[in-house]
Amino acid sequence: MSEGIRLGFSRPGPIVPAQSVAGRTLMLLIGIMTFLSCVTFGGVLLVQKSAVGWSADVGREVTVQIRPVDGEVLESNIRLVISLAEAVPGVASAHALSLEESQSLLEPWLGAGLDLSDLSIPRLVIVRLSDPNAADIARLESEISAIAGVSLETHAAWRVQLNTMAGTIVVSGILVLALILVATALAIVFATRGTMSTNREIVDVLHFIGASNRFIAGEFQGRFLMIGLRGGAFGGLAAIGFFIAVGTAMGAVMADPSSAQLGFFFGQFALGFDGLLGIAGVVMVIAGLTAITSRLTVRRFLSQLS
Amino acid sequence: MIAFENVGLRYGHGPEILKDLTFTIDPGSFHFLTGPSGSGKTSLLRLLLLSLKPTRGTVSMFGEDVTRLDQDRLLQMRRHIGIVFQEFRLLDHLTTFENVALPLRVRGQSEVSYRANVEELLDWVGLGDRMEAYPSLLSGGEKQRAAIARAVIAKPDILLADEPTGNVDPGLSERLLHLFEELNRMGTTIILATHELGLLDKFGYPRMLLNDGEMIIHE
Repeated sequence: MSEGIRLGFSRPGPIVPAQSVAGRTLMLLIGIMTFLSCVTFGGVLLVQKSAVGWSADVGREVTVQIRPVDGEVLESNIRLVISLAEAVPGVASAHALSLEESQSLLEPWLGAGLDLSDLSIPRLVIVRLSDPNAADIARLESEISAIAGVSLETHAAWRVQLNTMAGTIVVSGILVLALILVATALAIVFATRGTMSTNREIVDVLHFIGASNRFIAGEFQGRFLMIGLRGGAFGGLAAIGFFIAVGTAMGAVMADPSSAQLGFFFGQFALGFDGLLGIAGVVMVIAGLTAITSRLTVRRFLSQLS
Repeated sequence: MIAFENVGLRYGHGPEILKDLTFTIDPGSFHFLTGPSGSGKTSLLRLLLLSLKPTRGTVSMFGEDVTRLDQDRLLQMRRHIGIVFQEFRLLDHLTTFENVALPLRVRGQSEVSYRANVEELLDWVGLGDRMEAYPSLLSGGEKQRAAIARAVIAKPDILLADEPTGNVDPGLSERLLHLFEELNRMGTTIILATHELGLLDKFGYPRMLLNDGEMIIHE
């Protein structure tokens, strides 16, 4: 095109001119909203994955505590507990923590370098379960209860608390995601109304020459769908870049063995395939939301004109 | 073809713009609609274009009471009516060809099916060499001829024109009137709003004179 003349016979120009839709601003806004949605979604997914992992790990073992009791031989009771535990269905193995290992568990509270030999430190037997659902924990508890000073810890209370906390974070994340989508829809409504007002002349001419509201809405919706797809793709790619960058940074920090514990507790900052699928889903949802919201707004605007 | 009976129109709670209009327009006729500024010509044209409904009375077109029609039927009926505006109202981002083809495009027709017809019509109105030009490069007369071509491309039964010669010089006004006459000879019913007495006198078609919302028809 030059000097207002278009050469050749290409396909007809768009009825709604691209520059008449406040495209760049809206695309940027949709991009930012998509980024926030994807980061929220990714965060929720990571928390949920970690919580499930923690819960499963913890659920695969129970701990038997054997306190020193006058008149009882501690080592003998430990061997008895191990043999009873190993006879219970669903138990993979049972082993006792050594005295040194038991003492090291107290170090965070009592400090290192203390001589604990005069203290009567309870001993722990770690019972690993091959199948947490099939393991007969009630039988184990019943059989060891006859031994003086023995108690069973299934970590159930801790797991309930962990699941509650993770569930709260997931629900909060979903709420934030919903609020972002609502805010996006509202922004699209305002942008669409502004666009329709700017293009009132085109709408009037189309009405006068016999265009249906459906046709006019379709012309505008096509523009908004493209903006939604581009903004969504931009936000989604930015979110993937964000997770890759943070994951790489975390990986560098966790090269330090002491920091690796953080990884154990907080999980790895990697989304995985399902995370990427989820982000693609968020992008599609936002593009669809843009198209549907703008179409409804345009139809409403046109019916008010009629 | 068109019958108004005791038609009145007011905007909101304002005064009545059109009062007790009763008249009929026969198919294939040519009428001038005239009257001083503010007499209600544009409002009457909007009633005829079905973009307004009267506040009282009945308007019949093509044998149907249009005040009772739903949106879909109104849209179908509006496709039998072409409109030309004084200020052309071409879409600046479309070429002359695309502007003229717009009524066919909104009806879902493909460019392949209408290209030859549009080119022929543009040749007929003298714009055969301006098809790919944008409206910003057209003169007033060219814009008005493009607007007329757009109004008739879908072969409407009724052509409404609101001061179509208002923005062109007197010589071109006459040529445009001859264009409307030509369309009328081909069977299109024409109602042309103007307050140019010279044209009214030169072309002796019946005049619908609106004054303060009331109409007198001079056959």
